[in-house]
Amino acid sequence: MSASGPSRKANGDRIAELARRIPVNRSTVTTAGRLTAAAALRRVPFPLRPPTVPGGVDVPVAKSTLGANYDTDWARRYPARMARVLMLEGLVSPAMQLLAAPRLRGLDRLTDLEGPAIFAANHHSHVDTPLVLSSIPEPWRHHMFIAAAADYFFGNKLTAPLSALVIGAIPIERTKVGRKSADDAAALLDEGWSMLIFPEGGRSPDGWGQEFRGGAAYLSLRCGVPVVPIHVEGTGRILRKGRSIPRRSPTTITFGRPLRPTDEEDSRRFATRIEAGVAALADEDATDWWQATKRAHAGDSPSLQGPELGAWRRTWTLGDRGPKRRRATATRWPDLD
Amino acid sequence: MPRPGFVLDVDRATPPVLFHHGENFKLEKLPPGRSRIIYPGEPLEPLDDIEGAIHHALVNPHGDSEPLPALLRPGMRLTIAFDDISLPLPPMKRPDIRQRVIEQVLDLAAAAGVDDVELIAALALHRRMTEDELRHAVGDRVYDAFAPHGLLYNHDAEDPDNLTLIGTTDQGEEVEINKRAAESDLLVYVNINIVSMDGGWKSTATGLSSYRSLRHHHNVKTMQHSKSFMDRHASELHSSNWRMGKVLRDSGVKVFQIETTINNNVFGTEGPMSVLQKREWEWTTRDRVAFMGMKAGLDRMPARTRRSIFQSWRAPHQMTSVQAGEVEAVHEVTTANVYKQHLVPVEGQTDILTMGLPYICPYNVNSIMNPILVMCLGLGYFFNLYRGKPPVREGGVLIMSHPTPWEFHPVHHPSYIDFFEQVLAETTDPIEIEAKYEKSFAEDEWYRHLYRTSYAYHGVHPFYMWYWGAHAMQHLGQVIIVGGDVRAVRRLGFKPASTLQDALEMASDTVGRDATITHLHNPPILMADVT
Amino acid sequence: MKALQFERNVPRYAAAVLAGRAMPGAGARVGPLRLRDLDAPRLPGPDWVELRPRLSGICGSDLATIDGTSSRYFEPIVSFPFVPGHEIVADRKGTDGSDRVVVEPVLGCVTRNINPVCAACARGDLGNCERIAFGDLEPGLQTGFCCDTGGGWSTRMVAHPSQIHPVPADMSDEAAVIVEPTACAIHGALAAGIRDGDTVVVIGSGTLGLLTIAALRAYTPASIIMATAKYPAQRELAQELGATQVIAPSELKRAVRRTTGTLALGDGDIDRLAGGADVVVDCVGSEASVTEALAVVRPKGRVAMVGMPGHVHVDLTGLWQREITLFGAYAYGTETLDDGSRRRTFDLAFDLVRGADLGRLVTATYPLSRFTDAVAHAAAAGPRGAVKIAFDLRNERERTRA
Repeated sequence: MSASGPSRKANGDRIAELARRIPVNRSTVTTAGRLTAAAALRRVPFPLRPPTVPGGVDVPVAKSTLGANYDTDWARRYPARMARVLMLEGLVSPAMQLLAAPRLRGLDRLTDLEGPAIFAANHHSHVDTPLVLSSIPEPWRHHMFIAAAADYFFGNKLTAPLSALVIGAIPIERTKVGRKSADDAAALLDEGWSMLIFPEGGRSPDGWGQEFRGGAAYLSLRCGVPVVPIHVEGTGRILRKGRSIPRRSPTTITFGRPLRPTDEEDSRRFATRIEAGVAALADEDATDWWQATKRAHAGDSPSLQGPELGAWRRTWTLGDRGPKRRRATATRWPDLD
Repeated sequence: MPRPGFVLDVDRATPPVLFHHGENFKLEKLPPGRSRIIYPGEPLEPLDDIEGAIHHALVNPHGDSEPLPALLRPGMRLTIAFDDISLPLPPMKRPDIRQRVIEQVLDLAAAAGVDDVELIAALALHRRMTEDELRHAVGDRVYDAFAPHGLLYNHDAEDPDNLTLIGTTDQGEEVEINKRAAESDLLVYVNINIVSMDGGWKSTATGLSSYRSLRHHHNVKTMQHSKSFMDRHASELHSSNWRMGKVLRDSGVKVFQIETTINNNVFGTEGPMSVLQKREWEWTTRDRVAFMGMKAGLDRMPARTRRSIFQSWRAPHQMTSVQAGEVEAVHEVTTANVYKQHLVPVEGQTDILTMGLPYICPYNVNSIMNPILVMCLGLGYFFNLYRGKPPVREGGVLIMSHPTPWEFHPVHHPSYIDFFEQVLAETTDPIEIEAKYEKSFAEDEWYRHLYRTSYAYHGVHPFYMWYWGAHAMQHLGQVIIVGGDVRAVRRLGFKPASTLQDALEMASDTVGRDATITHLHNPPILMADVT
Repeated sequence: MKALQFERNVPRYAAAVLAGRAMPGAGARVGPLRLRDLDAPRLPGPDWVELRPRLSGICGSDLATIDGTSSRYFEPIVSFPFVPGHEIVADRKGTDGSDRVVVEPVLGCVTRNINPVCAACARGDLGNCERIAFGDLEPGLQTGFCCDTGGGWSTRMVAHPSQIHPVPADMSDEAAVIVEPTACAIHGALAAGIRDGDTVVVIGSGTLGLLTIAALRAYTPASIIMATAKYPAQRELAQELGATQVIAPSELKRAVRRTTGTLALGDGDIDRLAGGADVVVDCVGSEASVTEALAVVRPKGRVAMVGMPGHVHVDLTGLWQREITLFGAYAYGTETLDDGSRRRTFDLAFDLVRGADLGRLVTATYPLSRFTDAVAHAAAAGPRGAVKIAFDLRNERERTRA
């Protein structure tokens, strides 16, 4: 918005006058009389800009449509689904092959599985989600939704629709069990969608797992859908919590036998069984199936949560599963002769 | 609802019939009015919950046996033996039945705290299985858990340190089996029954034995008195094995037998290959296009490509029954289930029997079908797929369709090459062959070396292939091979013909002008119940 | 006289080499071998006799000469121009069928009028004569390679009395012409040193191979004789003449392995045998046959080269590592039999030809005028179902002139 012709001239006269009377530098003089952006904006009339609130009135607080209240139904309509499939097959899958070179084991355990399932995996890295999504075979592969942390993924207006579109996420509260998220998830499961959930609730802070929460178990009991335990190994090396630059590293994804809750189990006990299932898969990946099965039957599978030790000893016991050391750069010593 | 097999009388309106011709197919017209075609039944529905059925079988055994969990205790020696690469045919899609059963058995063993477990591929004198083949059969998990420690291996029938002479039957037949199997506290045998010849005591008494034992029933006399060896009750082969089984049982070898049956869904009921299993008058336009496309492609391909395409086919056949427990009780149930899929009632015999031979037999999985195997498949297996009497009369003619290439796989079948070059050049009479040559081939050091260290069938194996057809050779008046390599067919002692019509013409010398014809329609397999 | 003469003509020789490479036997058409009208050879000495050939065979060494594939080794011991033909049954001059003789072609000291004779000739080992390029005659290892003697492929030739063997009246001309090659075969078979119960392999079932099989059966204690034969006619003859097994050449290693029961290296596709046959007689003389012979003989075994080789490229490591004896067997002389007696090879040959009816091996005869056809037939004898081809000179109008 510029001033009209004659006022410009008037401005110029004023500046010349100022410069003559007060010795200041040239740039200050040229910008002295100009309108600032804020001032220009203040000059815009009301409909084009938000209203100011008069004193003495109460403004009702608008309901936030972010976080757990974000509506993700649009992301399951056909165009969004098509876009997601294309992204998964064209972008995400090849990227995962390049970054993580995943080795898939135990897929034959899913041959008899019919209908939707809840896929429960351990969580070490943001890479887990695209990696597992690109590893799950048909017919569940293109009918997945993900329970994602409401505060992290649906926190602002940009990440919310992106999460819903790209990974097919629905918001789930981490801090308290929300009615809405549970109902949304159950409704989708009943419709035939399969769910991917990380029962730990968040990524591992130190390389060891955290206790499995009851969400997957609860939904399985409520909707009669089996839980497929999945163990993901190696993503901690790719992109740990706290890092932002991913490094290439091979990974292994082991699928377990689908678990169904027995009649006497409640969601707490079933959640423990699911965690034991993933622990057995971790054992199977680390050693071999026979030893893992023997230990699983005896209740001796090494726990995912690691030993109850102090911080450095926990990292120490991680061993190969921990972050890889950088190769020491060769130090050149000066010639000492 | 799968339809049962039936016999079709050929009339003028019958379309040309699909013949298997090795790694290709032919459509042949059979003369109307005097031909009949035996069609196999459609594939039975597989079990719904396979894992559940296996578990049920393991805890609800047949016969005088405790459930498997009761037989497992910590500190025991457990051996699991399983059928080798000759079953099922064609190889199954993953996961293989053996993988499913063995994982469940091992799961129970793990729960019971059993540590000393060994797994043996019960291959008798067949060739050793490669790593890939073992992985396909038992699955990667079991393979990776046991093979690196040497606890999953192929039975070695020529290792004197690993064989035990258990005893002798009342007819003087020596029973010698794998030492580990004999000395275990429990031997679990995981078996696939594709035809009624498999299973029962034959699993252990043949699969885990040595030449010393096998020669008592793998000989001309036994095979000539097995009419047929697909019918246990009319088979001297099985009587001998049952006698040996009695010796095993009486000596304390405890066998928990798990037998399974599969349906005959070789090429699938949907998909482009399903046309090969359908009745010709039910081919839709799509089927016909698919068939013509397949045939055009196959005709243009070199033999090697055709062979590799067919050998890589994994069939979708699935489990139709599983039973476990005491050997003989289990086998009765299994046989009934096999008959349910395979048996087709047939009335009377005809003068001529025709059949198209497929590209695969139990002894050329991932390999080449040489002329001796063609003879074994036709005169051995297919001819003997009957109960009661053969569908062709005594003195009749057998016409088989197969390219019969003069080609041998040098690694898998070295002794077959020598058998074909030297033995068959002299004589094709099985009795003479047995008397003059069997011993030298069985004891040849180099064949023994290849059997033990390479992937070769035992030196004596081609002889067993020849004996398999001994009953047929006795019964038939003439054997003609259509479309086969002329020199190879002559060397086998048969007559070569270039087309089916020529073959029928040649047959009229033996059975007269208006001979009646039976055609066994395969794929898939069937068993004729002839009255 | 009419004769086929081989002269020294370098461009024609080069043409023959090229033609021979394209098709065996084609060297006759373009090479230095030509049908000519010549003067009969003069008698080199007073006791020499003039002969009129009746039948004269074409030998493998003749074919090699015509096609230019024979080695330059022969140059000093051959004198140009010569009339080829050393397998000869002939009439003495003036007779016609009543006084037939077979010529023993080696030109040793006696024929060359060399006194005293060399050690070999004294022993009776004429083939080892050290004076074949000296004496009264021009250089020439045999009649048929010497310009002074003439040769079988003509209507007139000369021979020394020591070379002459009378033909019994009941023996046909065909039987007589095959005597000389039979003598080569017998000499080779006996030189191989075969012991009781040995397994012997004969490589090649051309004329020489078949005759060797017959010789092995008749004069050695060989137990199993395995012969390689490519063509059906050869196979049948090999079996009739006494081979225990007749095998396709590509299957030889496998057949030897199974007959001797040894182990082999290589997984099914047999690369190398651990053991092998006791003796191998190579009646072909090519690179492939020598390599094959060395491959199928057992350690400390013996390989006899009876067929004439040329320049061959062979890996001799096997020879060294397995202590194999490789030796040549050439022509004939005097043989020592098992019982210690000494007889001339040609006498043994006469016996064998009669006993095994070897005259039937002469498959076809040609007049001199059709010599290109004859040579082509001889070069392709195997595929054409023939064994020995010979020139028939009985009907040459020419020969009855004076």
